[in-house]
Amino acid sequence: MSRPHTLDTADLLPRRRRDWLFALGVTIVSTVVVLAIVGPYVGPYDPTMTTPNVSMPPPSLSEIPGLFGAWVSGSLEAPPHWMGTDASGFDVFSRVIAAPRTDLVIALVANGLSLLVGVFLGLIAGYYRNAATELMMRVSDVMQSFPVFISAMVLVALAGRSTTNIVIALAFVYTPIYVRLTRAEVMSQKVRGFVEAARALGNTELSIAIRHVLPNSLTPALIQASVTIGFAILLTAGLSFVGAGVRPPTPEWGLMISTGANQIILGEWWPSVFPGIAISLTVFGFAVLGNALERRYDAS
Amino acid sequence: MLFRYIAKRFAVGLLQLIGLTIAVFFLIRLLPADPVSRLVGMNASPEAYAQAAKQLGVDRPLLAQLATYLGFQPDIAPGLLQGSLGVSWVTGSTITSEIATYLPVTIELVTLSFILALAVAVPIGMFGALNPGGKADKGVFVYSLFAGSQPEFWWGLLFVYLFFFTLGIAPAPLGRLSPMSSPPDAVTGFMTIDALIAGQLDIFVEALHHLMLPVITMAFILSGPIIKMVRQNMARALQSDFVLYANCAGLPKERVARYALRAAMAPSMTLIGILYGFMLSGAVLTESVFALGGIGQYSISAVLAYDYPAIQAVVLVITAISLVVYLALDLIHAAIDPRIAF
Repeated sequence: MSRPHTLDTADLLPRRRRDWLFALGVTIVSTVVVLAIVGPYVGPYDPTMTTPNVSMPPPSLSEIPGLFGAWVSGSLEAPPHWMGTDASGFDVFSRVIAAPRTDLVIALVANGLSLLVGVFLGLIAGYYRNAATELMMRVSDVMQSFPVFISAMVLVALAGRSTTNIVIALAFVYTPIYVRLTRAEVMSQKVRGFVEAARALGNTELSIAIRHVLPNSLTPALIQASVTIGFAILLTAGLSFVGAGVRPPTPEWGLMISTGANQIILGEWWPSVFPGIAISLTVFGFAVLGNALERRYDAS
Repeated sequence: MLFRYIAKRFAVGLLQLIGLTIAVFFLIRLLPADPVSRLVGMNASPEAYAQAAKQLGVDRPLLAQLATYLGFQPDIAPGLLQGSLGVSWVTGSTITSEIATYLPVTIELVTLSFILALAVAVPIGMFGALNPGGKADKGVFVYSLFAGSQPEFWWGLLFVYLFFFTLGIAPAPLGRLSPMSSPPDAVTGFMTIDALIAGQLDIFVEALHHLMLPVITMAFILSGPIIKMVRQNMARALQSDFVLYANCAGLPKERVARYALRAAMAPSMTLIGILYGFMLSGAVLTESVFALGGIGQYSISAVLAYDYPAIQAVVLVITAISLVVYLALDLIHAAIDPRIAF
């Protein structure tokens, strides 16, 4: 008999081998994860140092093969600016691949934090239903009715523009979602037979809640997490875009789009377009994964 | 029964607003920011600092400040109970009047975006649901997943590059009208409606022209979740017994699709309401790309200037509008489907 509460690794693989969409999502997400680890070191230029080349356009498509050959054979004095440079002389390519260190880490840590707190509170609120947990749910309702973007902006701007504060702000706005999801699942699980059986065997309520109900109630929150990570990246980038996110010269996609925004009216598209493609694909990748997990869960 | 339901929903909403008001008040004061030194500058003398603190009222105990803000001390300053949102620490004018200027801009933008998004997304979602499993359905599904997960500020910039810089068919992203035009008298605050009231057709067209790219940007992002929702609800409705019966009775396909759509739209109302409330604050980024000067941009400047009364007011007003929209949609839903109210 299969155990319903463990997420089998086979479940994560595409059911049909030709599910190209799922393959695309996995490819994108794993690339971003790898870049979050090695990105800041593998770029041709230091992502936080300017070069003397200001507002240099990227090579045209026809130049790329020749340039690539010359670069590989080592006949170039300096590596080419594959995606051009921005108005301050930063190499766009090095920054685009260094940015996952900022964006993905913020999104992952913030989600991990809110998942931890949210699942814990959701378990308590779902398992022990009394006046105190009812009050907690009302507080959670109020938190959830905050306008997300503006709340995050207020928290970061007033607490100080640092990575830590962005993580805390994001965790704050996402926690109520996990509380609600876990609570609902706990409430539906705790009336099932296996809980009754555990109780009959003489387990204490606390150990039933933690060892039996909790593992069976995690799935909705975990599925939600893969969608929320994508949205956390969007939120981080949006905060930087309006000047309430990470400080320059931190390589961060939203900040890069924002620095390029003034030039785009003048036709200098590359400082904004390349980081934007990176965000667009990354968030889409997480959305695809989240959707696949959701469907797998609904089917079982 | 419906009346009791309305009263209950209203009471819950009101309690939620009161909770939110108090939470926001304390939350922003818990954070380690010093609005006084932001206002008088880092190098101000201690006397000037104390003077400014006294003027803003932040030298008083927190609970006294809260009492004034809520309106329990109308002799000091009018508060929420008197219908006043306070005075901006930066501009010195009443926040009620500032919000009355900025809010209609956002409502106009969001409403037009919703109309466009619904007009495009409902037929596409229906089309996907009516041809389940096909290539087109898969395409519709991938599009909705993609559009719903995009950075709208980047798409806005991309559209500016494409339609303003390259093609030259859109105006520069510098506001609601070109700098040379004078706006019509503000009656409603909605540029398009005010222009019609003033009878200035050219300004009306110009306002629409300036709204074109921001509305397309937001409608693109919105179309994702709306298509997904219509497609899902429509697919569910098509599997229900009444559709089976209608098909057995030999009704034409178009008419069956119309019946199914009506059944699919009722549960979609709630999500549209949530999206609308979400977009009121989600419009921040689009507004700032196109310099429209709506409530979102107002909130950015309030936040960056540590203008506490303005921050409180923005959060309160946006949440209040969202709650009213949810309530209204729930009432419509309850009117369509009386089971809800029981």
